[in-house]
Amino acid sequence: MKEFAQAPAVLIFDTFIRVYFSCRPSPDAHGQYLSYTGFVDLDRKNISTIINISRKPILPLGSRGAFDEFGIYPVSVIKHDNQVRAYYGGWTRCESVPFNVAIGCAVSHDEGKTFTRIGNGPVLSYSPDEPFILSGPKIRKFGDQWYIWYIAGKKWILTDTGPEPTYKIRMATSLDGIHWKKINKDLIENKIDEDEAQASPDVFFYDNLFHMFFCYRHSINFRGKNGGYRIGYAFSQDMFSWTRADEKAGIDVSQFGWDSEMIAYPHVFKLDRQVYMLYLGNHVGKYGFGAARLEDYSS
Amino acid sequence: MKWIKLGKIFDPMDHILPNNCREFAQSPQALVYDSFVRIYFSTRMKDETDKFLSHVAFVDFDKTLQNIISISQHTILPLGRLGCYDEHGIFPFNVMRVDRETIFGYISGWSRRKSVSIETSIGLAISTDNGFTFNRIGDGPILTASLSESFLIGDPFVIKDGDIYHMWYIYGTKWIEPVHQADSSERVYKIGHACSADGIVWEKEGRQIIADTLDENECQALPTVLKYRGMYHMFFCYRAAIDFRKNKTKSYRIGYAYSMNCATWTRDDTLAGIDPSCSGWDSEMMCYPHIFLCENKMYMLYNGNEFGRSGFGAALLES
Repeated sequence: MKEFAQAPAVLIFDTFIRVYFSCRPSPDAHGQYLSYTGFVDLDRKNISTIINISRKPILPLGSRGAFDEFGIYPVSVIKHDNQVRAYYGGWTRCESVPFNVAIGCAVSHDEGKTFTRIGNGPVLSYSPDEPFILSGPKIRKFGDQWYIWYIAGKKWILTDTGPEPTYKIRMATSLDGIHWKKINKDLIENKIDEDEAQASPDVFFYDNLFHMFFCYRHSINFRGKNGGYRIGYAFSQDMFSWTRADEKAGIDVSQFGWDSEMIAYPHVFKLDRQVYMLYLGNHVGKYGFGAARLEDYSS
Repeated sequence: MKWIKLGKIFDPMDHILPNNCREFAQSPQALVYDSFVRIYFSTRMKDETDKFLSHVAFVDFDKTLQNIISISQHTILPLGRLGCYDEHGIFPFNVMRVDRETIFGYISGWSRRKSVSIETSIGLAISTDNGFTFNRIGDGPILTASLSESFLIGDPFVIKDGDIYHMWYIYGTKWIEPVHQADSSERVYKIGHACSADGIVWEKEGRQIIADTLDENECQALPTVLKYRGMYHMFFCYRAAIDFRKNKTKSYRIGYAYSMNCATWTRDDTLAGIDPSCSGWDSEMMCYPHIFLCENKMYMLYNGNEFGRSGFGAALLES
């Protein structure tokens, strides 16, 4: 793997935290990438210290014609019984648009080091109101019920440089994490315009409230600072209706450096009385991910 | 069973077709009206990449199926939008009358891929103008790939039996690596089954319901089912996975299975009662069957050589 460390997702162990992320070999002759997921283990007492890095991807790519033949990214993990389950975006390549994505599921019996698919097809895929690009899964369990927040593609916009997709945050519920019932509505109101692209719906329960950190960008001309990703925020009493309040997110692009043009793909977790956020910087994580610690919280 | 062949009843080259289509009149599917029979079919045009796009059209026949009354010249259902499951074709298109005002049209939608040629999913469009035009219920499909059915969900055929809607469809099981790198992969698919309370939200059974007779790579397609005198009769077509386009011994034949309860099916192709002719339009293969009742007679529509490039024909059940 040569480039990118995207969409960090954390699993907490006794002495370390395992951060899953997606990365890529160099692009092929046509400039196209494959994406794989691996992990890095960080010292629980000091998350700036790297203890271990996975030697190979946690899951091989799908076989010929499968929904996840060209990429496994992003990944969200959860401990369940004695296993670890991973929900991931599986990528394929198309003719009229560059790609499509659907959500797959894999399970690990070795504490999250290696995973096996639970099926060769997706666990969550397209429907009348969600025609393409189902991705960015974030798996959660509250009580006995499973929840998955994800993004669903709305339209492909034709630009000078080819078609660009736009997508919105949605959710589904389940009793077993396998058979899902979609809510079938966009959860987060638009701020930029109706074509705003929203991603990485990271839900976190803290101080009796559901908090969602996510990222959003313009639908076109979004690869630089002006239209690029920022981190957004919304809160909810019941996980189904959300009030957007980006001004409360409390994090913005830096003046200089690796996260000066954009900040994206937030993942928030509680660790030993602190709350951390991992996130991506410029070029959507081409050069790695970073962390922030919650300093001040008021509901 | 024994079928009396009525010969080819429709040749697309004899007519002007809508959407700049010429050639192909595939997977004929009938809807019986008071005074005529409307047969929907898929025909083709080439796009700017020189590949085919399949469009839905219909031809109205009198109830003897001997005289053509008219052919659609308008767009019955436009293809899907950019990036959608049915952007590159609709083939087949299965129609079912729900009530006096409503006809459901089940879409087998095609969308082109890179590493393999194609992906398919099933969608739904509804007609409220008595089958003249159809509108999608959404841009996305109602039935698509799932955990145990990885790709190539297509060929929907729906009936309502009592309160329950049944759909028979096909799902892909594998893409076979080509022997030579330059060749494209060939696909394998099997017939599956799903149920619904409303014809819109479906629950798959999740298993192969018709046993293979050739080998594990047998391809089964276009299931068509009629409940007649308490028994369910299914006709479908089947072929080898490889070398089936020109080789007569591997090309599509009509298969048959029956069931008393819609749950277990007994396959017996010898009971199908219909085979390729010695010569002519249906001598090299027979495919894409559709059975329906009209004025108390049971008919089969089907395609012949080159998968229906030159039209479709009919047969009448003798007894």
